[in-house]
Amino acid sequence: MAYTPKTPARHRTRSETKTPLTGASVNVFNNSPTKHSKAGAGDTTNPFITSGPSRPGSPIKRTTGGSIAVSKSLRRQASAGVIRKGGVESRLDVVTRDYVPPPPKSETKRSRSQPARDTRDRFITTRETPVDEVAATLDLMSLNPQTSSPGHTARLAAATGVPINKRILAYHEPPPPSASDALLSQQRELVRPLYARPGELPTSNGATSNKARKIPTQPERVLDAPGIVDDFYLNLVHWSSLNILAVALEGATYVWKADSGEVVQLGEAPEGCYVSSVNFSQDGLYLGIGLSNGAVELWDVEAQQKLRTMAGHSAQVASLSWSQHILSSGCSDGSIWHHDVRVAKHKVGELIGHQGEVCGLAWREDGELLASGGNDNVVNVWDGRIGDVAPGTRTAAKWVKRNHTAAVKAVAWCPWQSSLLATGGGTNDATVHVWNTTTGSRLHSLTTPSQVTSIQWSPHRKEFLTTHGFPTNAVMVHAYPSMERVCEIRDAHDARVLWSAIGPAGDIVCTGAGDENLKFWKIWDIPKVKKSKQAKESGRGSTSSSILGIR
Amino acid sequence: MPPTKQAPTRQAITLKGSTNLVTEFFKYAVNTILFQRGVYPADDFHMVKKYGQTVLITQDLALENYLEKILSQVNKWLLTGSITQIVLAIISKDSRTAMERWVFDVSLVEPPADTSAPPPAKPESEIQAEIRNILKQIVSTVTFLPVIDEPTVFNILAYTSESADVPADEWVDTDPLAIEAGKSQQVKLRNFSTDVHRIEAMVAYRYDG
Repeated sequence: MAYTPKTPARHRTRSETKTPLTGASVNVFNNSPTKHSKAGAGDTTNPFITSGPSRPGSPIKRTTGGSIAVSKSLRRQASAGVIRKGGVESRLDVVTRDYVPPPPKSETKRSRSQPARDTRDRFITTRETPVDEVAATLDLMSLNPQTSSPGHTARLAAATGVPINKRILAYHEPPPPSASDALLSQQRELVRPLYARPGELPTSNGATSNKARKIPTQPERVLDAPGIVDDFYLNLVHWSSLNILAVALEGATYVWKADSGEVVQLGEAPEGCYVSSVNFSQDGLYLGIGLSNGAVELWDVEAQQKLRTMAGHSAQVASLSWSQHILSSGCSDGSIWHHDVRVAKHKVGELIGHQGEVCGLAWREDGELLASGGNDNVVNVWDGRIGDVAPGTRTAAKWVKRNHTAAVKAVAWCPWQSSLLATGGGTNDATVHVWNTTTGSRLHSLTTPSQVTSIQWSPHRKEFLTTHGFPTNAVMVHAYPSMERVCEIRDAHDARVLWSAIGPAGDIVCTGAGDENLKFWKIWDIPKVKKSKQAKESGRGSTSSSILGIR
Repeated sequence: MPPTKQAPTRQAITLKGSTNLVTEFFKYAVNTILFQRGVYPADDFHMVKKYGQTVLITQDLALENYLEKILSQVNKWLLTGSITQIVLAIISKDSRTAMERWVFDVSLVEPPADTSAPPPAKPESEIQAEIRNILKQIVSTVTFLPVIDEPTVFNILAYTSESADVPADEWVDTDPLAIEAGKSQQVKLRNFSTDVHRIEAMVAYRYDG
């Protein structure tokens, strides 16, 4: 601590003439503990060193000198019973300046109130009035006229510039506590992480894309989906390569033909159960419907009739995925079955690898690999060659990934690099992992603000889209492999965005949410070189000739 | 406004006007400090436009009334010129030790000796700009003030002259709630002045360096 004589010069000269005043008090404080005399030790910036040895300081400075706390090291030494030579104590012998005794006792109690002044303060912005500057400090003191003679007090007051008869008043009642009680603040504390929304991008323009492009933050179209089941584990929206969107609203399945806008109800689930998943075959002609009672129905989309029901699962079928004539179904009990839709004995394979509900299931385009994500936080990648394996054989997964810390519902294969698999975890995880399924390594990870409910890769750009639940309810577009955020549409829905489906052309993404809306977002552009029909063909790799020959 | 010629519509600021201006400044300064230093939870405050910027003001009725009571008395003292300092002390709730002292010195501007040519009145926009700068500086102090991670309360102290008219049952003599000299750092803030009053701001904070 360093002190600058901020007392006005007028006062300083006055105090010089009043030396008896200070001299009288020396005796009082010579008996005081040594901590008083420690005041100036090592104090190189002290103004008294430079301003001459003979001039006694004003009482103000004495007061501060008297209230120095014993330093930690000194206290430690004292408690050990040893004061080291060369320590603070030994330095005290060297008087580099006049020792200024503290003021009379009556004053010392109050004088502790004077805070130190640091001359090195970088934050002082105005220095034009040094007299005023010290005034705040001086006024912290108050002389007590009762305990000393009036003349003494008057001299003291004149010397220090401290006005006498000053009162410090406070309002008689303490300030009210915050109206929010302890319970509320505790709840606020608990809820805070849910509301902690990370910073948004300043614009919706992707800084990462080479060409500045604007992704509309308003949906192209909104469809009502009354009664859609607000359940994270279900997969209720799918878009076929024939540009038909299937959506399950409780027990009923509807198809919406994107070209004509026509809506057709395909069928009603049996009494007492609801549709838990829908999935189109790769050619778009057939729709698989998973039911909550464990049955898997097969529908002809064009003829709008049910072709067969494949029963056998013991519990709800939460996920479906097609690979040519194989329809794989993920069940609540953790099993994955392969159904060959062409043969009467439809169950041609069973994959046991999950302890929890299989809520994410995706075949790779070429049918080589099947990825599954479960409520047990595990991602499994299975070898897709099932033909020559006898039914019931428990094959082991090719890769087992346990990096996620929450249910894995979002599973998506990259359309332009077949080894890439993206998986996203639920609320506790909120992370997207991108895997190389050839080597089994984790290539990239991306932490997102909230649960990842689905992932869609862009067929034309090196980007992928994720949908999110509470609190952001967002649709986000990320660049790959930089994993930078291209765009974020906050509050895309009023409730958590649970499902997404990409159109066959690869430009529109449909999202569904618990707010009973389906929204269509134009996220990407179709490259100009391949126009409409061509893009459609290559976009989803639809096969012109149906492999399914069961009719 | 040219300094030589005064616009006929604009009167020089009166004592009463200046007092109200200063009182209002205290209100916003206190609110700003209470918000910035987290004495009250952030959602107790709402934003208002004042001095050409947004200022956070408490919407807790109890606190609002409490400040109102204090400031109305401060207003009276300002009118009689018996107040010399306002201190907002931030105190640890548990240990009752003072953590920060926000000191506002009030001084009367001395009228110049020669009354023949009164100085031109200070334009209100200039006063507001000075006030705005103080409030901004209070906000910016959070960058260097130590982080307070314990519950705190505040207390407003008024330093008055002995002769001041004190409502007996409402205001009581008190301890200055000072910070020990060795553990205190001080930072002088900006000041502002009306034609009648001059306000100097300063913050002292506990710093066990």
